[in-house]
Amino acid sequence: MANQNILLNFDRNGANHTLENYLKRKGYSTLSEKIPNMKPEQVLDEVKKSGIRGRGGAGFPAGIKWSFLPKDSDKPVYLICNGDEGEPGTFKDRVILEENPHMLIEGMILAAYAINAKHCYIYIRGEYGFALQRVQQAVDEAYRAGYLGKKLTGANYSCDITVHKGAGAYVVGDETGLMNSIEGKKGQTRNKPPFPAVEGLYQCPTIINNVETLASVPWIIDHGGAAYHSIGTEKSSGTKLLSISGHVRKPGVYEVDLGYPFMDFLNKDCGGVIGNRKLKAVIPGGSSTPVLRPEDCEKITIDYESIAEAGSSLGSGAILIIAEGSCMVKTLEVLTHFYHHESCGQCTPCREGTGWLHKIVKRIEAGQGKMEDLDLLTSITKHIAFHTICPLGDAACGPVDSFVKKFKDEFIEHIKTGGCPFGGKFVRFQERV
Amino acid sequence: MTSNNTVSIRIDNHPFTVEKGLTILKAAEQNNIYIPTLCAHKELTPYGGCRMCLVEVEGARRFLTACTTPVEDGMVIRTHTDQIQKERREIMELILSEHTSSCLICEESELCRQYMPTIRKAGVTTGCRYCPNDDKCELEKVVSWLEIKDINHPVYYRGLSVEKYDPFYDRDYNLCIYCGRCVRVCQEVRLANVLAFTQRGRSTVIGPAFGRSHLESGCEFCGACVSVCPTGALAEKSNKWNGVAEAEIQTTCALCGVGCQLQVLIRNDKAVATIPVDDEFVNHGQLCVKGRFCVNELVNHHQRITKASKYQDGNRLQIPIEDAIAIAAEQLKNCPPEDFAMVISPNCSNEDLFIAQKFVRTVMNSHHIDSSARLFYGNGFNDYLDLMKRTTALSEIGQSDVILCLGLDMRFGRSVVGVQIRKAIARGAKIITIHPNDHSLALNAELWIRPHTTEILDSISQLSNALLEKHEPITSRLAQAADLLNAAKNPLILMGGEFLPYSNSAEIMQQTLRIAETIGSAIVPLPAQNNLHGSLLMGAYPELLPGGIFSDEPDNRKKISDIWGMTIQDFTTDWNLNKIFTGKKLKVVYLVGELPPIDEPIGDFVIYQNIYPPEHGAPPNLILPAAAFTEIDGTFINGAGRVQRVQRTAPPPGDAQPDWQLLCQIARKMGATGFDYKNHQQIQQEIARFIERFKKFDRKPVVLPKHIKLQLEPERSSQLSETDGQSFFVLTIFNSEHQYRGIPIADKAEGFKKLIAEDSLLINGSDARKIGVVDGDQVLVSSDLFEKSFPVRLSDNLQSGSVQIIQQRFQPFNPNPHPVKIRRKDV
Ligand SMILES: Cc1cc2nc3c(=O)[nH]c(=O)nc-3n(C[C@H](O)[C@H](O)[C@H](O)COP(=O)(O)O)c2cc1C
Ligand code: SF4
Ligand code: SF4
Ligand code: SF4
Ligand code: FES
Repeated sequence: MANQNILLNFDRNGANHTLENYLKRKGYSTLSEKIPNMKPEQVLDEVKKSGIRGRGGAGFPAGIKWSFLPKDSDKPVYLICNGDEGEPGTFKDRVILEENPHMLIEGMILAAYAINAKHCYIYIRGEYGFALQRVQQAVDEAYRAGYLGKKLTGANYSCDITVHKGAGAYVVGDETGLMNSIEGKKGQTRNKPPFPAVEGLYQCPTIINNVETLASVPWIIDHGGAAYHSIGTEKSSGTKLLSISGHVRKPGVYEVDLGYPFMDFLNKDCGGVIGNRKLKAVIPGGSSTPVLRPEDCEKITIDYESIAEAGSSLGSGAILIIAEGSCMVKTLEVLTHFYHHESCGQCTPCREGTGWLHKIVKRIEAGQGKMEDLDLLTSITKHIAFHTICPLGDAACGPVDSFVKKFKDEFIEHIKTGGCPFGGKFVRFQERV
Repeated sequence: MTSNNTVSIRIDNHPFTVEKGLTILKAAEQNNIYIPTLCAHKELTPYGGCRMCLVEVEGARRFLTACTTPVEDGMVIRTHTDQIQKERREIMELILSEHTSSCLICEESELCRQYMPTIRKAGVTTGCRYCPNDDKCELEKVVSWLEIKDINHPVYYRGLSVEKYDPFYDRDYNLCIYCGRCVRVCQEVRLANVLAFTQRGRSTVIGPAFGRSHLESGCEFCGACVSVCPTGALAEKSNKWNGVAEAEIQTTCALCGVGCQLQVLIRNDKAVATIPVDDEFVNHGQLCVKGRFCVNELVNHHQRITKASKYQDGNRLQIPIEDAIAIAAEQLKNCPPEDFAMVISPNCSNEDLFIAQKFVRTVMNSHHIDSSARLFYGNGFNDYLDLMKRTTALSEIGQSDVILCLGLDMRFGRSVVGVQIRKAIARGAKIITIHPNDHSLALNAELWIRPHTTEILDSISQLSNALLEKHEPITSRLAQAADLLNAAKNPLILMGGEFLPYSNSAEIMQQTLRIAETIGSAIVPLPAQNNLHGSLLMGAYPELLPGGIFSDEPDNRKKISDIWGMTIQDFTTDWNLNKIFTGKKLKVVYLVGELPPIDEPIGDFVIYQNIYPPEHGAPPNLILPAAAFTEIDGTFINGAGRVQRVQRTAPPPGDAQPDWQLLCQIARKMGATGFDYKNHQQIQQEIARFIERFKKFDRKPVVLPKHIKLQLEPERSSQLSETDGQSFFVLTIFNSEHQYRGIPIADKAEGFKKLIAEDSLLINGSDARKIGVVDGDQVLVSSDLFEKSFPVRLSDNLQSGSVQIIQQRFQPFNPNPHPVKIRRKDV
């Protein structure tokens, strides 16, 4: 069965970001045609029925999250679109932001209607200058056309969107960090409880969703939750954007139906491993997800359950392909450096622990490691994971534990030979065409 | 039983019923279960950073931080399982891998504790050089509770340089554990927002944002951060290495009229530090830089007078206190009433002031007693007193919706009031501030009206007229201010010190009073003297008898005579302190905590009774050692009229004694009766016969009697000279507010000099450039009426064209402000 194009429903070479183009693709028709006949609860219901799970990484069902909002609060509700896209290897939201911003805006208006939010934010990482420009353009266009603002075209409610530019920290991808950032505070996460749905942005009930999650809403409302649910598997419905990178012949962003076999995706859609090399390892869902060996990948299909069963996670759908010939210790050193560098420093285990993880991996890579270091690594991760304020600490541990477990020989070899068998460099393979 | 407001929980297998909404930590604390914490602090919002307080909650997927997690009905909590302890140890080791931990796991730590009580000995004996926080370290307590003896990670020393250049406290961020208490106290409690986390992750450093210094970023040096820091990262310079206090005694700060409640920390019979008391009436757990950091330095300075002395042939000779009392008695005995005068400080206690005037009136048969307040307030004194009569409790700030602040800067002095104002703003109150200079309220005020120094009165009277709906053309800002005040439900006026020295201060006060009457608001004047109120009520002025009644009324004199059983002289004098500049030389002058600002001897025989030797003028003939406010029992009345206690926290040094005791001994030596008080309570009982409130100390305010008025001479010109052209600057001269018993605080507490430049010419940077001077240059400031040279201090708070001098020693300057020429002095 061919994969559907729900989110990438455009010609990748056209000027898809304009309102004109979006309207040609039946854009805003859900808003103007369906909404006048739907109550907010019905919209929420369809989203629930669709079973769509959050595309930001944690995979929490969006409809259920929305229903956590307190019913009896008289405070305003905020909706935030998380476009911080900071997880290494992830670049799928960018395509929506740059190429299909109106679909996101329409999705947000529908979501806002469902949860009774009058004011929404789109938070985009500062490095995404072009995306910021495109989204702001689209928001302006939408205001001019009356899709945003007071009394929306075709619907009897108001909705405002503010585009907010991030200042460059991975940790503000976390919901509470992001809210602090919007509030103008330092990008540090908050303790939970209170949870954002109860006390989020400006201490008001807040729903925060990933770009991809929200951009899927127009299709869901247009075709009905059941139709969406019929795509993919029972527990992973719909389509998923995948950003594949690393040692792969055709890196890029793809949309697949969930449940799609991984090897087909790698070999058929993406042209296989670069230079016809052997596959060495796959990080299936962004740098925080545990690494898989080729044999783990043989049977997996791209959905939440199957990858979880293999011991990792679909995460944000960022697939990193690592080919034979590259050094796993060096790769881990790069990853641990990232988490150490991005730790906000609020809580002890992450601030200090990520530093030690990086130092130890670095010393193994440099050939100065000791055998005890391997145990030390796993003992440190044990004390970081689940003991921090936000999941960045946990995220830092996923790769460390899995790399050490699955590629232990390579670590031992580094220690025993006192050096890196791969020359201590991060390998870039180039395909000779 | 659980009700609507309580929940049932189990902690470590014991059932408890606790209030809903409490955190697990609070619930445990209430039931005497210890959970180790580092970042939690009772006055701050939970932070959850250190992760030391992790506990196991049945059904939770992970360990939860007790300090942030609210209790829920049926929660089953375990605080001390092996696994949790192991986790805590591991986390602590991670903290120690970065904190200089040699001290904590040092083999000598037992010895260290043993020698700790001898100040500084510990370091000398054990060779420790690590941390100034000695036995006060909270980290150390948790480390020893967790029984950590060694750490598995190598120590990573950050190698940050210790920040020592700011006054009063040092910052060694190598010792910082990122608990964020200092940041939270600065933001949540002080609302000052000076401190923040800069950088992130392991590179995090605490400090003002954007690499600015504490001074530049508006730090008030209140020391709140130092108080909450659990480690030695923030350490008070003057109390470093002192170890734990042996005792703490509460008293009242005597360094300004706010009258904050202090906890004095005592070690080896010395007041080694002062920290705030969470007092519901006045300071709510806050202090300003003076109360927090200057008191110990002020009372412990090595120059304190500890022995009596006399001057013989120009040499100062120490003499036994009995001899000094005999000499004083002898001199006073032979002095006719009209040739005698006493000058007493409004920083003295009520008991001192009362005994002093009783001494003057019954022993010396004179009314010649006065205080420096007369010079300080000048010919606006009576009008200032009129404001004081309308005073209300400072806590009114908490209820006001519009607050008009006049000439009020609260960055260093009175910052406790500043905090309350910022709290009011956070609550939605609007501040209107009238001030010629950039000042602490400028940033937060709804409206900052910034008249030139020569136009203050104009602004205030225009505002007053606008409120009376006289339709005159006014600036839009003043109109806006009038609108705000008109619409206010609970307006309040605060009067600061800025306009007091102005030649037209009387009119400024009158206009202020008129505004208050028009909008029906109370006024809180914030006098600089901690016991101005007391000096008036005790009768320490020629015109006033105890109770603040006039001494020229025979009935009043009779009333007092009856109580004392002695006749009081008729009031025939026109002497007051102003006469020292013009009047005839007296025979004996008795100075109690005062030093009049002239260089010639003011009497043939001068008795000087104070805590420090005189700084200027002709040497006195006799010096008596007095006790400072931390060394006496008694009472003060703060600016809002609250009668507050001071307590003896440490003995006075050497032969020093409370003023009233010295006075009583001299009186007795002179054969006088009525001076046999055994203690301060007996004096208070006598005061209570004049002033009801002294019967019972409940800290309720006393009201200044409506009639109180002093006889002032309109000797200051109230006309402001016109500015003329470009070559002139307009100079305003202030009398330093920061004095205690005539002693400039900056002289004894070194750090204070960095905060407030006294006896310097303050000038705006661009003006300085125009006349080609730089910071530190000497300039000659001159006008037809004035000529003196000063060092230059740049201050961009000033408007271009206006310069100012804060003089430590009063000197008449008329009219004030007036145009002057400034020229660089060539060296
Ligand atoms: C350190 C960290 C970084 C994250 N970065 C992102 C991100 O870049 N984009 C994103 O959508 N979600 C990110 N998340 C997940 C969000 O916290 C949140 O779960 C998500 O935005 C919710 O949206 P969803 O339910 O639609 O997935 C991050 C979480 C953590 C802990
Ligand atoms: S886990 Fe790391 S990033 Fe998250 S709050 Fe703690 S220190 Fe900050
Ligand atoms: S300086 Fe002190 S109070 Fe501030 S974060 Fe560091 S250890 Fe905590
Ligand atoms: S505000 Fe006044 S009374 Fe309070 S601490 Fe400061 S100087 Fe002392
Ligand atoms: S005390 Fe709870 S985390 Fe620090």
